[in-house]
Amino acid sequence: MALKPRIGIFDFTGCEGCELNHLNFEDQLLDILEHVEIVEWREAMDGRADELDIAFVEGSLSTPDCIERIHEIRRKSKVLVAVGACAVLGGINAMKNIRPIEEVREEVYGKDKYLFPTLPALPLSAVVEVDHSIRGCPMTQLEFLKVFTSLVMGKQPVQEDYAVCVECKLKENECVVEKGMICLGPVTRAGCDAHCPTFGQMCIGCRGLVTDPRLEAMEEILVAQGLSMDEARKKLQMFNANQLEGVTS
Amino acid sequence: MTAMMLDNDRVVDFVTHLQENKPVYAPHAKGRSSFVFDQVEKPDDVVLDYPRTLHSIKKFFLPPQDDLLDFNLVENSFTEPELKPFDAVFLGVHSYDLHAVMRLDYVYSQGNPERNYLARRQGAVFVGVSFTPDKHHFSGSVGIGTNDTTGFDVFLHIVDDGYAVEALTEAGTDLLQGFDMPVYEGALPASAHFEQHIYVPQGKLLDVFDHGYHSVVWSDEAAHCTGCGTCNLICPTCSCFNVEDHVDVTVTHGTRTRSWDSCMLRGFGEVAGGEVFRENLADRQRHRVYRKFKYISDETGEPWCVGCGRCTMNCTAGISIVNIVNRLVNEYDKSRAAV
Repeated sequence: MALKPRIGIFDFTGCEGCELNHLNFEDQLLDILEHVEIVEWREAMDGRADELDIAFVEGSLSTPDCIERIHEIRRKSKVLVAVGACAVLGGINAMKNIRPIEEVREEVYGKDKYLFPTLPALPLSAVVEVDHSIRGCPMTQLEFLKVFTSLVMGKQPVQEDYAVCVECKLKENECVVEKGMICLGPVTRAGCDAHCPTFGQMCIGCRGLVTDPRLEAMEEILVAQGLSMDEARKKLQMFNANQLEGVTS
Repeated sequence: MTAMMLDNDRVVDFVTHLQENKPVYAPHAKGRSSFVFDQVEKPDDVVLDYPRTLHSIKKFFLPPQDDLLDFNLVENSFTEPELKPFDAVFLGVHSYDLHAVMRLDYVYSQGNPERNYLARRQGAVFVGVSFTPDKHHFSGSVGIGTNDTTGFDVFLHIVDDGYAVEALTEAGTDLLQGFDMPVYEGALPASAHFEQHIYVPQGKLLDVFDHGYHSVVWSDEAAHCTGCGTCNLICPTCSCFNVEDHVDVTVTHGTRTRSWDSCMLRGFGEVAGGEVFRENLADRQRHRVYRKFKYISDETGEPWCVGCGRCTMNCTAGISIVNIVNRLVNEYDKSRAAV
């Protein structure tokens, strides 16, 4: 048998929930470890590696130090996978990008702000080339397994590019809008098997937008449900601030 | 044939009787205000007076996700899941939903017959029920009344205090064997009144659609559309699907799965190389509606929309297929008047 791919798991600005989700693969963890050798993972083990086949990277880039480290990870990895909303989109962190950066810095660090250089929160793809993305907040385990399996097989993972509504409909869920909820499903990228609406919650858009999202139509729906235009925009900004503000495409 | 009288207080006994020989599938309440077809466990749970179910009974013959084969990458082999007729009684089906099944029968038996669908379609017995149209039903405009018994084995007409039960086929008569009911005295009710209408006969509708291809209606409606695909995915006559292979994490086994697809989705028109042949949402909206009123209708002379109202009711943007068609009719009439 060929050598197992050597993988590393890395984190930047985020809650580390995606990383933790790797450990939540209770039923599949042994199968996963059958196919790969984990050689670097700060949260779970000691040691560093000089070369990697696949790097799974969580978190957004928000300090000069982050930029340096992501370049280093990119240099030593054959394949780089962005994991979770922060790494793929900039995530919730990117909401700070809507305000002047100095104002945000002062609010968080006060008089010590000069000790903490900060940048707008960016997705990995804004700085280095990203080969594949696993979306969601936290990252969708279902999608991780699909990407992981494809990479182990040496194939190109297929990424869903349609609305969460599709998965909701396939499951014959009652539409949460019918219950009076504000749902971003119509413009949010599927791949989560409509996890939240299936359990009676609205979609808050953690997997980011579909290609060519119809934001005006979405805002119209939210306004018809009673939100102001500003509130509608804020709902969409929660996970998509960078894209909506034109920071990333 | 004489109809029999089923009183409201005997409906549960009737369902129990139907369950004696075959599993029974019927509408059940779901969530806040929805209904779904499900196998009957408790006859008490069956709801015969309902506006429409989330999915039509299409889902039993063409499951939303259907495993076509299981494969083994190590042994380079595959097995096909066993296909069985859906040998069951479908109770409480509305006329438009059975008309939709008959349209699917046509689609899937043309050209390359669709094995999985056609195998499952054998054996089912249909017990229809009439309905009270709500603000979205418009099946009357496409020739399907509330009491249209076409295709049914038994039909329950809503009457005062219960249902007038009509056996329509031999299978239907067999089904009622052993359940005594008094004769229903009186005439069977005619179709109930619809609030929603498409204002033209089908013959003229084909002309309207010949004329409407470049209408401004498409971009007008698309401006409010999110392209989420819901309208296709709850449509009882939509028949498009996508096929994908999924390999499990052992990297030895996998499944080839077919899922319902939607022509309102951008990816539906995406081909090798990344080209999308219906990039514009207005074009997709037009395609969807033309699939319901023109493309197959030109072949068969029948509208492919059965007037259930699901697409309109489930559209969060409030786009109405009745409104689209009536706008086209209007434009067509104006263009005729101008000649």
